[in-house]
Amino acid sequence: MVPAIEAERLVKRFGEILALDDLNFAVEEGEIYGLIGPNGAGKTTALRIVGTVIKPTSGTVRVFGVDVVEDPSKVREMISYLPEEAGAYRNLSGLEYLRFMGSFYRREGRDVEEMVEEGARISGLEERLKDKVKGYSKGMNRRILVARVLTVKPRLAIMDEPTAGLDVVHALHIRRTIREYVEKHRASVLLSSHNMLEVEFLCDRVALINKGRIIGEGSPEELKARYGAENLEEVFVEAMRVV
Amino acid sequence: MSSSLRTIILKELKELLRDPKILIGMVLMPVLILPVMGGGISLSQKAVEKELAQASMGVWDRDGSSASSTLIGFLLSANQTVIPISAADEAEAIEGLLETNATVLLEIPEGYGANVSRGERGVLHVYAVLKSIGIAEVSRGGIIEGVVNAYRYKLSLEKIWELLQQAGVTGVDPTAVYSPLSVEYSSVIKGNIIDIPPQSIFGVMMSQGIMLPMMTMMLLSFAMQIAATSIAVEKEEKTLETLMTLPVGRLTILAGKLAGSTLVAVAGAVAYIIGFGFYMTTAFGFVPSEMMNVDLSSLGLAMGPEGLLLLGVTMFVTLVSGLALALSVAVFTDSVRGAQSLVGVMIMPVIIPSLILMFTDLKMLPLPVQVVLYALPYTHSALASKAVFMGDYLTVLRSILYITAFTLVILYVAAKIFSSERVITARIRPRRLSLFRRRR
Repeated sequence: MVPAIEAERLVKRFGEILALDDLNFAVEEGEIYGLIGPNGAGKTTALRIVGTVIKPTSGTVRVFGVDVVEDPSKVREMISYLPEEAGAYRNLSGLEYLRFMGSFYRREGRDVEEMVEEGARISGLEERLKDKVKGYSKGMNRRILVARVLTVKPRLAIMDEPTAGLDVVHALHIRRTIREYVEKHRASVLLSSHNMLEVEFLCDRVALINKGRIIGEGSPEELKARYGAENLEEVFVEAMRVV
Repeated sequence: MSSSLRTIILKELKELLRDPKILIGMVLMPVLILPVMGGGISLSQKAVEKELAQASMGVWDRDGSSASSTLIGFLLSANQTVIPISAADEAEAIEGLLETNATVLLEIPEGYGANVSRGERGVLHVYAVLKSIGIAEVSRGGIIEGVVNAYRYKLSLEKIWELLQQAGVTGVDPTAVYSPLSVEYSSVIKGNIIDIPPQSIFGVMMSQGIMLPMMTMMLLSFAMQIAATSIAVEKEEKTLETLMTLPVGRLTILAGKLAGSTLVAVAGAVAYIIGFGFYMTTAFGFVPSEMMNVDLSSLGLAMGPEGLLLLGVTMFVTLVSGLALALSVAVFTDSVRGAQSLVGVMIMPVIIPSLILMFTDLKMLPLPVQVVLYALPYTHSALASKAVFMGDYLTVLRSILYITAFTLVILYVAAKIFSSERVITARIRPRRLSLFRRRR
């Protein structure tokens, strides 16, 4: 079976800054894979490369066997990407935004409307979807963005801090939605998060990343056992200390 | 048109036209503000006219001669309301004037009649009361000047006729003695002699020929600001990164932004033209326009279909190059304000050639200035617009080729930027531009 992501010897330089330093990881189909690490560790850079936003300085990334540098258009048909600092178009209503995004993935109007309905259900914004996005709170904004990612039914969802800015109730709703989506569609998810509770709840496997390198990888249970920790927060702290 | 491109254009239109800054600032304001401004000017002008029609003048006749009576009679025949002022001195005369509603006093000093009859200059003195600073105050002085000039002309002709009689000269027209030269102007256009002063033809060409490139440049300025806003707002609102990962070609995104910006700019330009039209008709409706009596087509200066087509092509390539330039530059900023400032600077080389060409011919300028202006593609847009009117299609084609070449280069650069990660990562860092960089 072709892995959802194969990242090999990934290096990314921004001038003098080495953001990724020989990064290697793989994500299987139907798997939720989490990248955790301190600020500036290279998580967002890795996600941006997989999401075809930026190109690696060297190394390769294949999404379902397709190279992200050689054929980014084909990769974009299979992925849906949620940046950490993302926004929706302020002067469109929530429904218009979902329709705009959906129309790039489906040609038939009826199919697009089905996507919009699905997005409305996932976001849980109900009547507020008729309002312009500029009137949304930060949490509402994030909910419609997450809905946008899942509603287009990607084979691979790339999510940078998916529940950033959400309150506990809505964050839980989004996590459950992501889980349900993966189980229902056998999709894959690559995410990064600072919320260890979220990572433990969502991820099948986790990579600890620091200074552009993976310093530990495994399921949350394996990592806890390896570092003799009770939770992923302790794993994180212990891994950083050892480095 | 592909459905993705249509979707992006529609999104651009919704986003831009729903933005109050663009909708109000660039579309509604010209339609509303310019007619209001025109109405304001018209209203004040009518008030001035009413005031002047009712204006009266005080006349302080210190001479009391038959010559002064003749002058006062002329003023009355010219429909002036004359209020006689009797006073012993200047202060008393002004005091007397201020008691009336007259704001101008004409003093006919002692000896005026004697001087005139001796063939010497008769001196008059005008006092104008300035109550405020405005057009009406200035106009009052102008009215009395006009009446006095008319009287001066009449008096001159009478004097000349009298002198001719005394000298026994007959068959001489006093007006020819008063003004012995009369000049008649003709214009030569494309080898044809037309009995119309060149100033009148220039006036028509200014209004119909040169205004066109100016309108093009205005449209271009609008479009560049809008295009810059459309990309900067994507960066400011953090939507660009997502847009770049959608299954749609980067060039389709670029084309969508170019088309959306053009449509909104056209709407802005139409609004401006409508507003400007209202402004001109309301503000200057009272000005008799002799220029309009000149028919360009009868002079061989009107554009044929081929001219219109070439002008359209010129405007189109100019517009596309400006938009691509604005988009390429705006990518390097991360805020709407930053992008608009940067594009604001870039609009200068767009506008300046048109302004220069309004007043002069490029060949009259110093060589270094000519070189710089010829290098600017937007000079050729203005040159082409002028050349179309003169039927010089070779110049138009040459200009179109030059602008097209520039447009292709800019489009290539824009496409390269949009196809690379620079569209996300590029930033102009003010510190790098600083002259006073800190040493580390």
